[in-house]
Amino acid sequence: VASMFTNHASRPAGTYTYTSRPRPLPCQRRRYRDSLTQPAEEPMQYGNIMYDRRVIRGNTYALQTAPLLFDFDLEVRPMLEVLVGKTIEQSLLEVMEEEELANLRISQFVYEELYNIELAEIQRLEEQERRHREEKERRKQQQWDTVHKHSETSQKIAARAFAQWYLADLLPSVFGSLRDGGYFFDPIERDIEIGFLPWLMNEVDKTMEYTMVGRTVLDMLIREVIERRLTMYEHNEKRQPPKPESGLGGPGAMRDPLVGYEFPEQNASQSQRSLPDRDPLQRTLYDESYIEKMSPQERMLMEEEDEEIEMKKFSGREELSQ
Amino acid sequence: MAHARISMYLPPDINPTQAAIAYGCRALPKLNTELQSEDLLTRQKALMALCDLMHDPEHVYVAIDIGCLESLKALLKDANNMVRIKATEVLYIMATHNVGREGFLKHDIIVALSFLLNDPQIACRENVHLAFKHLAQLPSGAQGIVISGLIPLLVWKLQKEEEKIQELLLDTLAACLVEDATEALNSRVVPFLKEKLLSDNDNIRSKAAYTLMAVSIPLEGKKQVRKFDVIPILVHLLKDPVEEVQANAAGALMYATVTTAGKYAALDAEAIHPLLNMLKSTLRKARLNAIKALTMLAEAPEGRKILQIYVPRFRDLEVDTSEAEQRAAQIAVKTIEWKP
Repeated sequence: VASMFTNHASRPAGTYTYTSRPRPLPCQRRRYRDSLTQPAEEPMQYGNIMYDRRVIRGNTYALQTAPLLFDFDLEVRPMLEVLVGKTIEQSLLEVMEEEELANLRISQFVYEELYNIELAEIQRLEEQERRHREEKERRKQQQWDTVHKHSETSQKIAARAFAQWYLADLLPSVFGSLRDGGYFFDPIERDIEIGFLPWLMNEVDKTMEYTMVGRTVLDMLIREVIERRLTMYEHNEKRQPPKPESGLGGPGAMRDPLVGYEFPEQNASQSQRSLPDRDPLQRTLYDESYIEKMSPQERMLMEEEDEEIEMKKFSGREELSQ
Repeated sequence: MAHARISMYLPPDINPTQAAIAYGCRALPKLNTELQSEDLLTRQKALMALCDLMHDPEHVYVAIDIGCLESLKALLKDANNMVRIKATEVLYIMATHNVGREGFLKHDIIVALSFLLNDPQIACRENVHLAFKHLAQLPSGAQGIVISGLIPLLVWKLQKEEEKIQELLLDTLAACLVEDATEALNSRVVPFLKEKLLSDNDNIRSKAAYTLMAVSIPLEGKKQVRKFDVIPILVHLLKDPVEEVQANAAGALMYATVTTAGKYAALDAEAIHPLLNMLKSTLRKARLNAIKALTMLAEAPEGRKILQIYVPRFRDLEVDTSEAEQRAAQIAVKTIEWKP
């Protein structure tokens, strides 16, 4: 409504156009000396036209006595038309504007509804899609888990069977190898093996050695005796040169074996073998005669002396032989 | 014939409260300079005149062009109440036009207006909220409001303000939430809206339900709606006498039941029968939302079992209604009769 009043303020003073508001004319002093009206009139010039006699309006029932200024009804028509027309036009414009706004708003709401519906539908479909996909994922995962478990179980069974078979064979072989390794032993047997037998062997060895030593000593003894006998015999021969040659021959023959007897004695290690070979020969020849002559005590004493001497000689011979 | 008597006097000042408006293209620049004047009366009169002029979009464009917004921004901080009220009214009228909205965004009016949210004068606050509401209708305007971080403040205001202003706030929030809901969700908008759903004022209930619908569009919003147990209240609102409230509640349910948790919450709260009643409603929005909500519920096996009995009703809807409803009804029937 304000737009109606836009242009009314700054006009040059005093103009009165159709957009001006109706206002009562102020009673003014006379501007003109002569008024255009008849002098004999009531002093009501430029007063309210509503009460002016000279104006004929629709409700004046008075006769047209005075000269008419103007016919109110006629004159007012165009003015009224303009006024009312403008007002109505303006108000129509405003109403139409509001209607347009209302229509816009309605279409906006309709669009909004459709938009909301579509959006809800989109979200629902998205949600559905997501659910389906998750379901599929879960099922796939489940299947994979089952297959995995199956394979694991079968592997476990196979492994178990194999282990059992392997272990079944293992036990006897283990025991066998242990037994072979000598880890199972009878303690008494072992004790005998470890303790008794070595000692026994030791003792046997010693006894054998004693025997050997004894024999060696005896051999030396015999030898000493024989040598002494020989020297004695040679003494006797010098004193009794005329003797039967058989007798000489015999000792001479015996001398050779004696001499021959000395040389092999260089090898002490073989001497013991040769000794037993010579022993029976010499014994049969000399033991009878010599042992008869000597008394057992002398024999024992001689044996002891000879043992010592022969031990030294024996060791000396050994050194020589070596 | 009338004689044109030219009066010597100026025509009387019709509206002494308004400044005299210059003719033609001088009107707005003159008013702009008057706005910046030192005299309080001049400023007030200029503001009144500007209010009237701003109904015309062309004037709005010119005004922004010559920089009226800067002077108006300065006036927003004025000490006089009248000045502030009128300045906010001018801004609100400018915001109803698109040119005005764009000017707002360019000249950063939002921040300046936000200082007045705590103004002691209620008329001033009302105008500020009206300006925000119209600004939020524009997507970039809504984004501007979100970016300047006003959402938590607006949500908090929802508790404090009176009913008239609450309605405007709910409209603004609904539009902003469609743009970006994260900030609002962080500032506990859902519990506040839950309270508003139970208010006595019909408008507030319907607008709160509408805002809840906007809240439950993003996934985070759905989760919060579920968490704060709003769904039983929404189901209760489905039986509300006011159709608009029913329609909005059905819309909010429609979005909240997209998630499986929401579906089961709604089924527990016995939402199916009120929704079926709404299928016969007169409001098209109510019918559409009800069909969609039932479609969501039909995805759950329990829902499908119950709804299989009511399939004929959907078939009726398919036949004799508008295209959107036909499509929605077809989808609903398909969902109900789906076999895994």
